[in-house]
Amino acid sequence: MVTINNLRVAYGDKVALSITDSLTFDEGDRIGIIGSNGAGKTTLVKSILGVTPYKGSITTSLRQDEMAVHLQENNYVDSMPIRYIIEGVLNKSIKKEKKLQDLIQFFDMGGCLNKKFSALSGGQKQRMTIILVLLQDAKLTFFDEVTSGLDFETRQQLIHKLQEWYQDKGATICMVSHYYEELDHFVNKILILDEGKVIDFGTKEELFRKYCQHAIIILDNTPGNQEITKGYDTIAAPEHLIALVCQNEKAEIAIMQNLIEHDINFKRSNRDIEIMSINALQGGGKHAY
Amino acid sequence: MPTKRWNQKLFIYELRNTLGNVFILVFGILFPIIMSILTVKVFLQGVPESMLAETKTGVFITMSLIIPMATVLIGYAATYSQELEKNIPFRMKMFGYSDKTLLLVKMVCYLAVMTISLILFTVVDYAVLDIPVPAVKSALILIVSLYLLVCILFLLAHGIALYFKKFGPTYAITMAFYFGIMILCGMFGVMPSQLPKVLRFIAYLFPMSYISEDFAGFWQGGSYNFVPFIQSMIFLAAVSGLVLFLALRKNRRTS
Repeated sequence: MVTINNLRVAYGDKVALSITDSLTFDEGDRIGIIGSNGAGKTTLVKSILGVTPYKGSITTSLRQDEMAVHLQENNYVDSMPIRYIIEGVLNKSIKKEKKLQDLIQFFDMGGCLNKKFSALSGGQKQRMTIILVLLQDAKLTFFDEVTSGLDFETRQQLIHKLQEWYQDKGATICMVSHYYEELDHFVNKILILDEGKVIDFGTKEELFRKYCQHAIIILDNTPGNQEITKGYDTIAAPEHLIALVCQNEKAEIAIMQNLIEHDINFKRSNRDIEIMSINALQGGGKHAY
Repeated sequence: MPTKRWNQKLFIYELRNTLGNVFILVFGILFPIIMSILTVKVFLQGVPESMLAETKTGVFITMSLIIPMATVLIGYAATYSQELEKNIPFRMKMFGYSDKTLLLVKMVCYLAVMTISLILFTVVDYAVLDIPVPAVKSALILIVSLYLLVCILFLLAHGIALYFKKFGPTYAITMAFYFGIMILCGMFGVMPSQLPKVLRFIAYLFPMSYISEDFAGFWQGGSYNFVPFIQSMIFLAAVSGLVLFLALRKNRRTS
């Protein structure tokens, strides 16, 4: 669907993005794009959309109108109720367009249509743009930090709604996010960027096995826990946690039994994106790009 | 990215956006009407009866100049710079509307608003002030001049807003220009010909001076040398074009 080759984007002297090898997004992919600020996530999205000048090639079978984007910041005029903005942007009448009515109802925006944009809550503002984006029914849709700045509950609700909407649809989605738990439920592939370079790209499972092996057991990083887990293999984790590597199921059970015997709380995972990405960034496993 | 074309819903959206600007409603529609009525009723008390008709015509023509200036130069520049500040044009582009389509729709809306304002202004002033009926040719010249002026000022306002992409400097510059033109071109009561030499020279660079000072003279017929007026119109168009060119150049995408 989209193939990127030797892509390079520079703003003045600063190279914002440099993808030296080939990168392909297939039809139906749900891709999570992760990386710290300045990693090149938004630059990549804008390059694919054709709004940022680049060197190299991005080939796609899609027409421009088959791509849609939810930007990081989505502002609208404040001179009229949002119903007129929605109708103006989409060139559709809310009264006549059933699909638009369904979307408004699905995202609980029916009561807000006569409000001005500035009077909406953060979650409502995001939902309004989501409605506008989803109605485009694009084959490829980008969600750039769609839940940024929202509280935990609103974030959960929004992602849940998006998941529900896309459940039986074959659309390709690229979701840029700092919230790994959202990506965990929403995407099947992960693209890790750092300082404008691709660290790795693959399915969640592939990347997890590559950087974290069979499974990991996560527990609090306390002196007591450090002492008890001294003999086990660990991998990089956020400072407040210890991540123990399990090569196989047998090893995993042995570690868990030991932790239970010492009455230590822990979490077991075979899909933790955060710890997987930390290890990918620290050079664990073999880099593909 | 852009694929959508001009459509009725977009026009209604943009028209609402234009009319939602309080400045346009107050200064582009109400202010010229109130100012013209006040000027005639309060300040023309001592004017001899024989000169009253032409003086009232002069006030009517001069105040009509406020409409394109307030509507477009101030109103559009303020609205568009705020939109640029919030990245709204880019968001619209991502929904499939090209810059060209958006610009065209905006221009049509501002022309529509100016038309409404001009009609209201004319109807009210003629009903209240008993202004002489113009010769068809004279009325047409004024109307064409105002529409030409609004198109030129639209380019100027667009250029200034696009250059700064911020409301603050855009508003400051357009306001300074607006009041400067009002002072120089006779809208505050002092005619360009009464100004000191240097200021007079500057005033006659702008077509508004000729409209406010001379157009009343051939309102009911007569001849007039339009060359200096046309030259000033070309000068203003050139300056506006240059500002727009600089703004577009500044915003040109670079790799």
